[in-house]
Amino acid sequence: MNQTEFTALVLPFKDKLYRMAKRLLVSSEEAEDAVQEVFLKLWKGKQRITNYANPEAFAMTMTKNYCLDRLKSKQASNLKIVHSNYQNSENLQRTVEVNDGVSMVFKIMETLPEKQRMILQLRDVEQFEFHEISEMLDINETAIRVNLSRARKTVRDELLKKYNYGVS
Amino acid sequence: MELAKITKLLDAYFEGNTTLAEEAQLRDFFSSGSVPEHLQGYTALFASFQEAKKETFEKEIKLPSERKQNNFWKWSIAASVALLVGISSYMYFNNNGLSAEEEEALMAFNQAKETMFLLSENLNKGTQKVTFINEFSENTATINLINQFTESKNLILK
Repeated sequence: MNQTEFTALVLPFKDKLYRMAKRLLVSSEEAEDAVQEVFLKLWKGKQRITNYANPEAFAMTMTKNYCLDRLKSKQASNLKIVHSNYQNSENLQRTVEVNDGVSMVFKIMETLPEKQRMILQLRDVEQFEFHEISEMLDINETAIRVNLSRARKTVRDELLKKYNYGVS
Repeated sequence: MELAKITKLLDAYFEGNTTLAEEAQLRDFFSSGSVPEHLQGYTALFASFQEAKKETFEKEIKLPSERKQNNFWKWSIAASVALLVGISSYMYFNNNGLSAEEEEALMAFNQAKETMFLLSENLNKGTQKVTFINEFSENTATINLINQFTESKNLILK
């Protein structure tokens, strides 16, 4: 496989990988690095990628693993403080850009546990089928439905809570 | 769309029991602008998912141009190995050439050292004996004194 063929295979899902990385890492710079890193790894192992029935799912799994590793190593170091600073400034920017309710949903999503965040992202943003999500995250479909339900309910409840605060 | 159906779909949605098609219906409904007051709270939820999907990866994907890079690495490794072999063999042979002269000098030095050791050992033995002699001569001196003393005593007694 040459570079053009590889790019043709991989480019259609670059945005999905990026959004997933950003959902987990929050910072857009880190998400860009993550996608870059995943593509580099895919390119190095490009003989293998053609063997996979679903290269998109394979790439998504790699992105998930990379981001979770990043989060783990970040927790060990003090990077978290820097990170939360960044988050604030970005949220401020967002509130200016898009309407209030949407930015609130994004903010709430950031507080979800990683597993729920990934499932919500893959289902409600990217609209993948349950069996695809199951393949990407290596979690069975029942567990995915349970986590998805929890995530959706948390977002709903938090959103309503914030709306009520806004009203009263 | 009838409201009852939407409410039912919403319930199923929060239980994680809707299909992708049903979720698309919900999205359509909540972006339609004809959402009744009591369901307005959900518009932001579905709107944000659609908003989230708008984000794209804009950076260019950088891939190493494989062939060039590989050749470069191969050549640099080959070159460094050759250099290493050259330098080490040069040093190795040079060392042997020099040591023919050096070995002679080293042998002479070792021999000199050995003789020095022998000498110092014997010298030490010698000094030990000398101290014995010193002690002996001291003792003989006292004996002489005693002898003198007895002699003078004898004279007095006489």
